[in-house]
Amino acid sequence: MNKPDYAEDTPGKEVILMGNEAIARGILEGGVIVGAAYPGTPSSEIIETLVKIQKFHPHLILELSINEKVAFEVSYGGAISDLRSVAIMKHVGLNVASDAFMTACYSGTRGGFVVISADDPNCYSSQNEQDNRYFGPHALVPVIEPSSPNEAKEMMKGAFELSEKHNSIILYRTTTRLNHGRGNVTLGDIKTSGRPASYERNPNKWVCVPSNSRVMRIELLARLEKFSEESNTYPFTSIKLSEEKVDGKKLGFISAGVPYSHLVDALNHFNIIDKVSILKIGMVYPPPTKLITQLLEHCDEILIVEELEPFIENLVKQIAFDAKIQKPVHGKDTFPIPGEFPVGLYLEKVAQFAGIDYKTEELPESDIALPPRLPLLCPGCSHRSTYWALKKVEQKLKIKTFKSGDIGCYTLGVYKPLQSMDAQICMGSSIGVGNALAKFQTEKEPVVAIIGDSTFFHSGVPGLINAVYNQNDLLVIIMDNRSTSMTGMQPNPGTGVKITGEPGNRIILEDLVKGCGVLEENIWIEDANDTPKMLEKLEEAILARGNGVRVFISRHVCSLLEIGQWKRQGKKTPVVKVDPDKCVGCMTCIRQFGCPAFVEIEGEPEQDGRKRKKSSIDPDVCRGCGVCVIGVCPYGAIYFEGE
Amino acid sequence: MENSQGYNILTVGVGGQGVIFSCKLLAAAALEDGGNQVRTAETHGMAQRGGTVIGYLRFGPKVSGPLIHKADVMLSFELSEALRSIKYADSHTSLFVSTDVIIPPSVYTYKIPYPEQEKTLKYLNKVTKNVHLINAREMAVKAGNSKTLNVILIGAMFGAGKLPIKEESLKNAIIKFVPAKAKEVNDVAFKMGYEIGQKIKEEFYE
Repeated sequence: MNKPDYAEDTPGKEVILMGNEAIARGILEGGVIVGAAYPGTPSSEIIETLVKIQKFHPHLILELSINEKVAFEVSYGGAISDLRSVAIMKHVGLNVASDAFMTACYSGTRGGFVVISADDPNCYSSQNEQDNRYFGPHALVPVIEPSSPNEAKEMMKGAFELSEKHNSIILYRTTTRLNHGRGNVTLGDIKTSGRPASYERNPNKWVCVPSNSRVMRIELLARLEKFSEESNTYPFTSIKLSEEKVDGKKLGFISAGVPYSHLVDALNHFNIIDKVSILKIGMVYPPPTKLITQLLEHCDEILIVEELEPFIENLVKQIAFDAKIQKPVHGKDTFPIPGEFPVGLYLEKVAQFAGIDYKTEELPESDIALPPRLPLLCPGCSHRSTYWALKKVEQKLKIKTFKSGDIGCYTLGVYKPLQSMDAQICMGSSIGVGNALAKFQTEKEPVVAIIGDSTFFHSGVPGLINAVYNQNDLLVIIMDNRSTSMTGMQPNPGTGVKITGEPGNRIILEDLVKGCGVLEENIWIEDANDTPKMLEKLEEAILARGNGVRVFISRHVCSLLEIGQWKRQGKKTPVVKVDPDKCVGCMTCIRQFGCPAFVEIEGEPEQDGRKRKKSSIDPDVCRGCGVCVIGVCPYGAIYFEGE
Repeated sequence: MENSQGYNILTVGVGGQGVIFSCKLLAAAALEDGGNQVRTAETHGMAQRGGTVIGYLRFGPKVSGPLIHKADVMLSFELSEALRSIKYADSHTSLFVSTDVIIPPSVYTYKIPYPEQEKTLKYLNKVTKNVHLINAREMAVKAGNSKTLNVILIGAMFGAGKLPIKEESLKNAIIKFVPAKAKEVNDVAFKMGYEIGQKIKEEFYE
């Protein structure tokens, strides 16, 4: 393997890195020993990059944990053993970890400890748009936020010292455009050694019982007070005051993170960057109160540029109130709360604030409708096979199951044409919510919880134990595709391979299910792509309602992984075709089954001279899984070539 | 081109076409060229395949944020995707559009027809005079591999004088990013694209 740029020991070299790679490099330069993560967009590449770095820097101890709470606890274990440690997750992952996080902040740390939360404005690949800067005041820890890949690296590197200085956990917050954007990064020195691991036997500090926690809470508040002072001199926070006036006023801007980088572009665009005052904040919590006061005193009018909630704005207004400064402070009266800001919005709002006449060129009107490219299950995806079988069984039994869904690729089953999900909130919720739903099910509307293998390991297990214990008569379908596909095909306990590629211990899914108390006769394991068997056994499982908790494991490896497996085995991809003489153009394959390999074509003229629409298979897209050959076409028009 | 905004290139297409790859390759070329701040961003759907993919690339001495307002150049790897991302274009934008058509399944499930080429072109021409339709897939196949479609488009952009990067920087980036065994076919593809670009240059930009 070639040494990637981010693993090189060439200080001073300038390279282009993705934000997540720059963060991983910062972790390497910061002397981290322990890193644990649960994958989630847009954070996943951080641990993946660290794994690639580890090949050249084996001092790193890395782990893909089964969920974010465990990832946090693993890193915390490293940190209280005096090792620099990092826990990596997406924004909603911190909700899962927050039970540990909220109390660990009381004890603090010994080795530098940074928690990464990758937020996702515009919900590009998330179930919500929460703003995790609020975890700062909630847990009483500092929140730092970088605005470019190079700063992401530098800030990460410095965060461990900062953490050790006050024995505090540091929350490092990013947003999607930082994680998945690239930029110039200057490599620095790699730090591979630190203090050796050691245990500190001091129950007053590390055991959070009420008598200790009351004391530690006072200490926690005192630590925050120190950060409050240091926020003003934090190296990634800067203030620039200008005496000049724009539109007759001394204008001031406050910003942080990615919005700051776009604010700079907008100010450059209008050539006013030297004529306005700017406070760029690197530590958004606790806020740099002195600098904010300075800016408020200096300027006539202030605009705060931040995505999502008015986090900085509310802090600034509070500071202005305490300092008895009454000046117009704008923020969410100018910029929206939801979504990501397009560049045009920065230009428009900055121009408006600075009294500059600005209009962007308007596009000519268009009456062309564009078919959307919705997120789809891949060709050959075994989740489609399971949904299809479930649909067929429903048709046969004249029932409609209520499907309590979960988070993973299979969530895409909510879209047309499968439309196979009725409720879903978060990781593991399918079974949790299903517990109650099952109490009200009827013969015509039985309840099914649908969850993937990785999600089941993540947080499905407690829900299942709950169902068994409380006798909630739920059918759980575990779609076991042996992968954490949606976040980039990471392994999970069911694969028995660790994130580093080394063998781990495999957890046998069905044994785990049995261990949760599900009776052997209530467990089915079928190949998701074996449609006849799936139809027979799924019907059995649904009709077994009343027998208690039932688990149906519908198993078939992720289609994208299967392609690789076939290639390695030298197996030729079977060719699947539609017989145009048998195809009547009912389009069941396209409009109901919905595999993206199917396309509509115009058939040859028939006896009556008319050309009819037919279905056909695009050989470039088809994966050759053959699920459509049996049980999809009502006219048997789909066949394997050569059979 | 708005100077303080640097040079802005948008690559658009469908998952699996190499949109992000091209964006990364051009970013490496811009760094190699020297004196540039380089920024990229990427947008893609949740699915592994088949979704709209957008790569944003900006470079110049002062560039700061990763996103683009209006692109100097848009490379569209698929016909309808040029239309989908047209909000990033204005009358100054040069559009290099592959005639490749990838029909999304929503044409069947949501019954919205795929827009006709003629209509699409007519609209694109209303936005900017500089619309360059290229049979990139056909050319890529002729070059020896349909996957070189992206190099054809990059070659055309360069040939048309719409990529302000030294030829050497671009070539070095291609060598760095393209597997060694595919070097020859990519050289051929680049030349084919470059020639088309030269014709475009004569017709539009001289």
